[in-house]
Amino acid sequence: MSGRRMSRRIRLGGVALAGAVLLPLGAVAHAGPDRPPGRPSPVEFGAAPSLVTVSGLPCLSGGDFTVSMTNTSSRGLFADMTLAAPAPITLSRRLFSSYLPAADPDQVVSTKVLAKVPRDALPGRSTIKLTVERRTVELPVEIQPIPEKGPGDNLALGEQAFASSTHGNVTLCGGVDGNKNSEEWGASGTHDATAGVFPDTYGVILPAATRIGRVELYTLDSARYPAAKMGLRDFDIQVHTSTGWQTVAEVRGNVMGHVTATFAPVGADRVQVVTYDSNDHKYSRIVELEVYAS
Amino acid sequence: MTAPRNHREMLAAVTATRRRFVTATGAAAALALTGTLLGVRSATAEATGKDSRYLFTLGVASGDPLPDAVVIWTRLAPDPVAPFGGMPDRQVPVQWQVAEDERFERVVRHGTAVARPEFSHTVHVDVRGLEPWRHYFYRFRAMGQISPVGRTRTAPAPDADIARLTLAFASCQQWNAGYYTAYADMARNDHDVVFFLGDYIYEVGIPEDGGVRRQPVPMEAAREAFTLDDYRAKYALYKLDPDLQAAHAAAPWVVTMDDHEVENNWCGPYSLDLPDPAEFVVRRANAFRAYWEHMPLRLAQLPNGPDMQLYRRLTYGQLVEFSVLDTRQYRSNQVARGAWVAPNDESRDPSRTITGDIQERWILDGLGASSARWNVLAQQVLMMPVDRVAGPGVESPMGTWEGYSASRDRILRGVYERGVKNLIVLTGDVHANFAGDLKLNFTETESPTVGAEFVGSSISSEGDGVDIDEWGRTILAEGPHLRFMNHQRGYVSCRVTRTEWTTDYRVVDRVSDRTGTVSSRARLTVQDRVPGVQP
Repeated sequence: MSGRRMSRRIRLGGVALAGAVLLPLGAVAHAGPDRPPGRPSPVEFGAAPSLVTVSGLPCLSGGDFTVSMTNTSSRGLFADMTLAAPAPITLSRRLFSSYLPAADPDQVVSTKVLAKVPRDALPGRSTIKLTVERRTVELPVEIQPIPEKGPGDNLALGEQAFASSTHGNVTLCGGVDGNKNSEEWGASGTHDATAGVFPDTYGVILPAATRIGRVELYTLDSARYPAAKMGLRDFDIQVHTSTGWQTVAEVRGNVMGHVTATFAPVGADRVQVVTYDSNDHKYSRIVELEVYAS
Repeated sequence: MTAPRNHREMLAAVTATRRRFVTATGAAAALALTGTLLGVRSATAEATGKDSRYLFTLGVASGDPLPDAVVIWTRLAPDPVAPFGGMPDRQVPVQWQVAEDERFERVVRHGTAVARPEFSHTVHVDVRGLEPWRHYFYRFRAMGQISPVGRTRTAPAPDADIARLTLAFASCQQWNAGYYTAYADMARNDHDVVFFLGDYIYEVGIPEDGGVRRQPVPMEAAREAFTLDDYRAKYALYKLDPDLQAAHAAAPWVVTMDDHEVENNWCGPYSLDLPDPAEFVVRRANAFRAYWEHMPLRLAQLPNGPDMQLYRRLTYGQLVEFSVLDTRQYRSNQVARGAWVAPNDESRDPSRTITGDIQERWILDGLGASSARWNVLAQQVLMMPVDRVAGPGVESPMGTWEGYSASRDRILRGVYERGVKNLIVLTGDVHANFAGDLKLNFTETESPTVGAEFVGSSISSEGDGVDIDEWGRTILAEGPHLRFMNHQRGYVSCRVTRTEWTTDYRVVDRVSDRTGTVSSRARLTVQDRVPGVQP
């Protein structure tokens, strides 16, 4: 299709080829002693970083890395990299096959991969195996413990976010990633995908019903995009208890970047913000949603 | 939105020096082609280990008929969307048979091909030594399993004066936009050959719930395709559809590609989305490779990295000659990124081309030399101009021939000057049915009509349609050369005789569920030696 409906833009977010990632080939030993006899392979391969760290925290799990292959010969060729990880690690990509052009200087062709572990994964070391032409590289993985949250900690940090919709330019987890800096909004905030359509919902699932008494909401409020022009205007903060959703704060006509809702502590397993309008009447922009015991 | 980092920065960091090895992969590829395409029995046929999982999940296909030959295709894929289709990393011998009858009592050709992992265990057998203008049945056997039976038909002998040809053409089959009900209808009707004019897959991401199909999509097929395995997974997902398989099994297909087999609105070396040409080269090569693997194409069309010889000619005796075009690979960059804007100095610039100079000469030389009664360009995008603005303003799609109007006018003037008989242009891309006259000069209603263009709607892309909408009404009103418009999904069935070309627009009332019904929306004709669509 050309022309009439070209609203879509290709995003390189999850998968990108050469050009997307700088890959130090020396980061991981490649082409080890188990290389099959005969002609040496012209494909060099590796991964970066040299240690993958991942945790079971749903929205702050880490686990992203880049794999790459490079053709060092003078003829273009296709090559396959298989990726394997033992349970409980799951990978977003089990295979990376690509054309590898012959270029001078050599051209690195790479793609992003995400490793995930479940919440109950035991901390420890593991390895991801990358194999090209029967040569295997082991990429170490550190499964990190989920940080213990004390009485004064943000209970929403890194927990599973949910939303009525999420715009393609941001991530669902952007509102619970611990970054409340509006100047880094593009990289670490979140908003809905439905311009001018309200209400929008954004919330977080707590790992278990927990006693909570305070919610801190940060909406977009940067020098360039002040809250009075771009932030949430009319919204409710709701908590989910054994009897259903309860509204703990009703905010109307807001122009501030930071809103605190304090309420009589209640046992809840979810918190959400329901936005009825924003100051630009388009998107519901949330930089960070924090939940505290009191 | 994550922007790619600076490519030069990346290259600068890579210090490995060039080495000059003959690659093992390259050698294997050459072997695969001689062994597979020529049907040569493999000297290294490995043990025929049995596999309890069904291998022929993606059906069979045939394509590019010649008077004595046709390509037959299948792929061994027990777990089609999974890495390597669920196949082991080894060659598998695949027996094939071509018979005159459906029960395979009169087998006329048979052999053993090798399905090789580096071609995702696809098999392309260029079956030679067949009789012209004859129906054949074909099937494969591998690892103790027998494939479904496909039906195909060779082309007539070059000098044969056949009385009738039936053909269908289709385009734009976005999987998650709708069901392929149109293909079920196509498969039920008898066509000598089917043309596919582009957008066989869509490279973009698929919702995990499968869009209107409401079925879970494995991550390999759901993500946007960049790598070869990503593109292979898209073909696997699409080709799992039973109606698409039925249409392939019913008749030989002649395929060409448009943009979405690679990337939305790509043109030549230019990508709208990957600013680094080196990055797009890799994507294009990955897309081309997966395309060739999954289409019933000959060795002549096997891509060489990011290049593929896709334009080609097929002749049906003295009745029809088909020139299958490639308007993507050699086109100049698009005006306004292919958007609908007013034609301007740039879009009219005679130095710009949609075909490339070599293909343009090939088109005109071929048309000039043709002795066929009907001369068909099977191609991707609208050749005639369309204007979506009522009244004095003009907005036309710059991704079509109108965005390269000098390129179009050179072809149409060349056709006119050479006295080419009965030019018919078959088009896809726009997700709408149109029919109209191709004019020597579209701005003058009295200008000679050079041929007729039949534009076929999408199989599924854009979802349920309507008979006509404001967009279509405006375009019809603004285009005096236009004869017909419809905005439903479907395909086009044509019947060609010595005296008349009949185009039957088959439309589907809905594609959002499996229960849509297909009917003929319009039947339009072109008379022999009377250029243009009959009013």
